[in-house]
Amino acid sequence: MKRILTLLRAVLAATTLVLVAPLAMAAAYEAPLPAEIGTAPDLCAMVACHEVMPGADSFSERMGRPAYVEAYRDGEQGRELIGYVFLSTDIVDIPAYSGKPVVTLIGMDTQGIIVGTRILRHSEPILLLGIPEEELTKFVNQYLGKFVGDKIEIGKSRPDAGYIGLDAITGATVTVIAQNQVMLRSGVAIARQVGILKSDPKPQARFTDVHELRSWEELVREGSVRRLTVRPEQLGLPRANEPYIEMYFGYLNVPAVGKSLLGMSGHERLMSRLEPNEHAIFIIANGVDSFKGSGFVRGGIYDRIQVAQDMDTFTFRDMDYYNLWGLEAEGAPGYRESGIFIIRDPVFSAAYPWSLVYLGNKLDRNTGERSFVSFDQEYWVPAHYLEGGRPTIIKPDPPWVRVWKMRAVEIGLFTAFLLAVATVYANRNRLTRMSNRKNKWPVNAFKYSFWVISVGFVGFYLLAQPSITQVLTWFHALLFQWKWELFLTDPFIFLFWIFIIVTVFVWGRGLFCGWMCPFGSLSELLYKIGGAVGLKRFQFKLSKPWHDRLKWVKYGVFFVLLAVSMFSMGLAEVLSEVEPFKTTFLVGLFSRTWPYTLFAAGLLALSIFIERPFCKYLCPLGAALAMPSTFRWYGLKRKQECDSCKACAVGCGSLAIDKDGRIDQRECLLCLDCMVYYTDTHACPPLAKERKRRLKAGLPLTPIGANGYYIPIHPEPMRPATAGKS
Amino acid sequence: MVDPRMPTDPIEPPYAGYSLPAMVLAEIWHHLWPWCHGGFQRKRALVAAEVAVALAVTLIWVLAALGRLDAAAIIGWWFGWSVFEVMIRMQSKPYVKEGPWWGRQYRKASLMDMISYVSFKNLLIGAALFLALKSMGLLVL
Ligand code: SF4
Ligand code: SF4
Repeated sequence: MKRILTLLRAVLAATTLVLVAPLAMAAAYEAPLPAEIGTAPDLCAMVACHEVMPGADSFSERMGRPAYVEAYRDGEQGRELIGYVFLSTDIVDIPAYSGKPVVTLIGMDTQGIIVGTRILRHSEPILLLGIPEEELTKFVNQYLGKFVGDKIEIGKSRPDAGYIGLDAITGATVTVIAQNQVMLRSGVAIARQVGILKSDPKPQARFTDVHELRSWEELVREGSVRRLTVRPEQLGLPRANEPYIEMYFGYLNVPAVGKSLLGMSGHERLMSRLEPNEHAIFIIANGVDSFKGSGFVRGGIYDRIQVAQDMDTFTFRDMDYYNLWGLEAEGAPGYRESGIFIIRDPVFSAAYPWSLVYLGNKLDRNTGERSFVSFDQEYWVPAHYLEGGRPTIIKPDPPWVRVWKMRAVEIGLFTAFLLAVATVYANRNRLTRMSNRKNKWPVNAFKYSFWVISVGFVGFYLLAQPSITQVLTWFHALLFQWKWELFLTDPFIFLFWIFIIVTVFVWGRGLFCGWMCPFGSLSELLYKIGGAVGLKRFQFKLSKPWHDRLKWVKYGVFFVLLAVSMFSMGLAEVLSEVEPFKTTFLVGLFSRTWPYTLFAAGLLALSIFIERPFCKYLCPLGAALAMPSTFRWYGLKRKQECDSCKACAVGCGSLAIDKDGRIDQRECLLCLDCMVYYTDTHACPPLAKERKRRLKAGLPLTPIGANGYYIPIHPEPMRPATAGKS
Repeated sequence: MVDPRMPTDPIEPPYAGYSLPAMVLAEIWHHLWPWCHGGFQRKRALVAAEVAVALAVTLIWVLAALGRLDAAAIIGWWFGWSVFEVMIRMQSKPYVKEGPWWGRQYRKASLMDMISYVSFKNLLIGAALFLALKSMGLLVL
């Protein structure tokens, strides 16, 4: 007993070590960062700026909006500016796969060339365990030596279109697409601010001579006045009835709008103060916060609001601010704070859409950390005020659309595959009737082909192995923050899950598990191959009583994962390594540390001798899908005689048929073997009996009806109430 | 004799023969109310305790609706209630639907059937309430 305990302890300790070891390697995963990292003036006192700016001797404090620091080298003629260092999260808030940003420190020289990058922190689960973290470092290192103004995208270079391609990280497409945006947008923002990049001025707006005055309500309705509201809970503060800030804003250069809001003379006065190509916007606000900022110092920058157009941002200084004394438009609301701001940059054009951006600090209620967030509202001068209407603009596709376009062919093939499986299964009765106990090829030809496609194309090529972590992620997204983009960025998994959800309710989990799960297919293929190459005599099933005990383990695994995920998604990710999917498909059996390889290879080796041991006893995904399979609409057929006949039960590889001949729909993998028996007049005992009787009596053998019996010869004296259905 | 065409023995719930609208109402009631009529007479003390727990859970949702509780507390309670509901239903309404959801076939529930039913149903109810609270800005995460 004592020895067993010691052994158990040793096994536990080893398992813990194995699980925790990769955590130690993933140094930037959820790495703690100083709470003031987003706000403290001396950024480089907190992070290793010199690592991304080789040769720098000193750094300035944070400056500019968005913030950056200058890097200097001590030269003969004194201090020399050699570049800029900036923190990605000061500039953009682009979430990666985990929904949280990858905090990156970037160094850029005075020519706009990236000279250093460092990942300070990420929350990407796949980089915690599946893919070594160095892959992300390797990925961002591809930017070294590249000019921030270059068109850089993930994939192959397209010199004809001027695009430079970067190698993605296999299995982490979403992460790298987001990271590419982070790198480029932050680089461009700073390069523009410090004057390395110049934007081409856009054609300026020319206004129509519509001059009728409008009421406030009309202005709001036509979009000449827009509203941007930030609620306290969006900043992690306790909910309150009053918004944190609610701003109305609009563009005053349009004569009808300006005159409606400021009155004839007010508008004229304002316009007379503007140079050509200068633009005035007004803002009024209510709420607990001030858009001017309480810490605003004269001569400084208004650091809570800015205007953004494409990649350009326009900030305001005190000389860009005029008082707004009142609003003349009929029905204008009361306000607590107001102002007129002037955009003086010729790059801005009112003919094109722009956004008012409110910059806030979000408090993480768990960690007390503050992070930068921005809220924006788009504004576009209504078409009837613009000569020739609004110009046509081509908005760049959001990342997920790019992924769908980039992989259109594969998406087409994959969809065709899903439809093919569903169509074949919907016609299962035809196939099972064409088969018999000795020749199941009409069913198996399809099933085996689907297995091969699932393993090769879906698993190894598309890496589209559904996993319990996705179920947990959705569960969380549903509760905390649902973002379609997050799911759409992996088109195959997205489509696969729609298919899985629908088919689980129609037929049960068996269609996915039994016909197309890449890992499940691989294990059963191995079992079949094992049998075919002469290992049949070593193949075995657990006894039914043992199977009936062990099958519950997988549900336990699932509930443990679900419960753990409530406390820590990271730990749940670690524990979900019980699925050998990452090792087998995503990363590759031989690219991981030995314990993972051993586990996955061990399961696959075992699969040669036991049919799908992982699916039957361990798979949390299988368990998660089995539970709703209780309520599948269309089950398999059975006859009353199945209660005493054991023919199907003996042949059921999933051990899903009990002693009463009942099918456990949670365990059944819809292999259809028992459905072949159901209509096989030689294998199914009641049918065989009837066949012999008829032959002996010289009666004709009618076809087998939907209820699984010979269609009666006469209207029906033989077998009344036995319509078969399970 | 066991009927292998059903995963468990068929059962007729009290509302089996209702007209369609009455049936829909009865099913909604079935999903929301775990006790049966007879149950109240059977073990008064036990039922009282069960109702007390149910009230506590309702109170939790009300508190959540007032913005007084955080997500973890609600999830914890909802989970606890689900476990409890499984036990109650195994006593009072031990059956589940078989086949298409629009059909009228019912069967005896095994424990796993009931766990599957309650967890799936409460997941949907919980998600709906949660989303409603969130969209009204009452739940801060
Ligand atoms: S039980 Fe798991 S591994 Fe097996 S087929 Fe289903 S999902 Fe795949
Ligand atoms: S033999 Fe029948 S019950 Fe068993 S797994 Fe195949 S289809 Fe399901």
